[in-house]
Amino acid sequence: MSDLSGLMQHEVHLAALSFMGAAYILRIVWLLQFKKIEEMSLSAGTGNGAVLQSLLAVTKPWTIEGVRKNPAFYLQFVIFHLGAAAAIGLTFLIPYRPELLKDALFVQSLRMVLGAAFIVGLFRLYRRIADRALRLISTPDDYFALVMMTLFYALGISAVSGNPEILSGQAVLTFFILAAFFHIYVPFSKIIHYLYYPFTRYYLGKMMEHRNIGRKG
Amino acid sequence: MKAINNKSAGRCTINPAPVEPWRIPELLRKKINRQTACSLAACVHCGKCARSCHYALARPDDPFMTPAYKADQIRRIFNRHIDWLGRIFPWWTRADTPRDEQDIQSLKDIVFGTCSGCRRCTFNCPMGVDNAALIRLARGILTEMGIIPEGMANVCRNQWESGNQMSVTEEEFRNTLDWIRCEVQYELGVDDVKIAVEKEGCDFIYALNPREIKYDPSSFMNAAKFFYLAGESWTLPSYGWDITNFGLFSGDDRLGAFMAENIYQAAERLRAKRIVVSECGHGYRSVRWEGYNWAKYRQAIPTESVVETIARYLQEGRIKVDRLKNTAPVTFHDSCNVARYGGLLDQPRLILKQVCADFREMHPNRMNNFCCTGGSGLLTMPEYRPLRLEAAKIKADQLKATGADIVCTMCHNCREGLGDLISHYRLDMQVVQIMDLVAEALVLPDRKTDDNCRAEIKQV
Repeated sequence: MSDLSGLMQHEVHLAALSFMGAAYILRIVWLLQFKKIEEMSLSAGTGNGAVLQSLLAVTKPWTIEGVRKNPAFYLQFVIFHLGAAAAIGLTFLIPYRPELLKDALFVQSLRMVLGAAFIVGLFRLYRRIADRALRLISTPDDYFALVMMTLFYALGISAVSGNPEILSGQAVLTFFILAAFFHIYVPFSKIIHYLYYPFTRYYLGKMMEHRNIGRKG
Repeated sequence: MKAINNKSAGRCTINPAPVEPWRIPELLRKKINRQTACSLAACVHCGKCARSCHYALARPDDPFMTPAYKADQIRRIFNRHIDWLGRIFPWWTRADTPRDEQDIQSLKDIVFGTCSGCRRCTFNCPMGVDNAALIRLARGILTEMGIIPEGMANVCRNQWESGNQMSVTEEEFRNTLDWIRCEVQYELGVDDVKIAVEKEGCDFIYALNPREIKYDPSSFMNAAKFFYLAGESWTLPSYGWDITNFGLFSGDDRLGAFMAENIYQAAERLRAKRIVVSECGHGYRSVRWEGYNWAKYRQAIPTESVVETIARYLQEGRIKVDRLKNTAPVTFHDSCNVARYGGLLDQPRLILKQVCADFREMHPNRMNNFCCTGGSGLLTMPEYRPLRLEAAKIKADQLKATGADIVCTMCHNCREGLGDLISHYRLDMQVVQIMDLVAEALVLPDRKTDDNCRAEIKQV
């Protein structure tokens, strides 16, 4: 491991993570500064579990019409986000648990997930450019985030290998430079949507629960 | 800001002063709340919402119909003035702000003319982004600037000035109630029907849609009939009886609070134990749910739709019906304001199954139902009618697929909206409301159907 690579994997990585954590906290504080609607009406029920259902919407693709009509979208979503989890996981495995990366099956699985996510990333990019409606609503941030994530997966594939010697190579260094960049950029970009998800879903679910919306007849 | 590619309506405003785009950020800051801020920040532009919106489905090749695009019109302003990144690098998130009259006009056409606020996209958004709330937020900002379609502006003004949307005077109100009472007595063959106004201590106050007073009294007559047969103790307030609320449509929370509070105060004044609202989708939503929040009025007594009241009468056997009196195939249209915003899904079905011999669901239904296309005040904005009717193709196909002769709804607005599209798409269907079907199926007690009695009442 070169000095620079070591620096990126440990000190810079942790500093960037700390920055991201601090920015997330500020984001949440910022969000909570907006006044909340206080519910003045009497609740329609005794609780139908809508908050939990709403928060778990991501695990119930059939509840979303666009997905019901096009299940491949959900598959893409799962693969893309598994890739994100794998790539983020790698930023911890490489510096702190490198011995795990000696397991050929594990590494192969990682590469497969990252490879699939990379392909989905390319497809999503194509779709965003080719679909008129998507193109109209897409911002430079949307394109950039997608390109960078796809690149992150590609670098992740290059960074992992059964051969520990390769771990110290340029690919790992580049991977960690990009990871550090991500940690700084994410709080300002659309990638932060996962931080907002619990909020939007909670408030939607809360309203549904209060009004007893969504129960089965 | 980009213009939508349909014919743009002329500038309609209740404020003759020049438009002041610089006020938009200030108004946005004033009106935004945590729920809308979350929705503004959380959209990932996945475009899934387009598959749930009847406008986007009816115009698949028109990217301007995507709900995210419509919501983006207010999101850009939010990004430009409130969000972190958009304030520093606006071009990066396409953050922008309306700069001139043309931008404002474009914004007005999008938020008033291309969304019925049905909230179908909200429930089909993976992130839970409430696009309908964002559209209403934008409408509220424009309304406060005096930029509002003329038809809607007129109704808002009526509500502010007279407390009801059709400017019905108290004298007109009382006269109408009087002849409705006579009519109900005649139909029931009795002479002791009472439609009390401002009577204190009744079980409930009944609040209704002014169209029931002004030009379509059948709905109110039916309600009066059922209340009489059920032996109810009820009254109408002389002021604060209009459940319609154009504060909901225009995004003006102050008007929303004013209209809703009129009813809450009437109930308090008359020491009623409940508020019952007639068959009106947005009226139900406004009085039952949003109004309490707008008015910051802590709800103390139950508020219910007359559909819930009638369902209870049927369950308790207080009125009798015969489903064989309605043999034509009937389908039910869930009003967005009642179903997706109000969760009232079972009671209408409970009634319809008792009063119709052939009740059939349309698909999708309940929370997934498509809008009648007349929601969010669109029926008061004729300038957007061509686009509305084009988008109504989705609903027309849905209706046609049921094979029903009658489509039933529990909303006056839906009745109008469905009627409009049925005539436009030449469907062989009739629109009725739940109380119409209950009235048809009603089994009157024998003693009240005596011909002599009818003649006597007629004479009286």
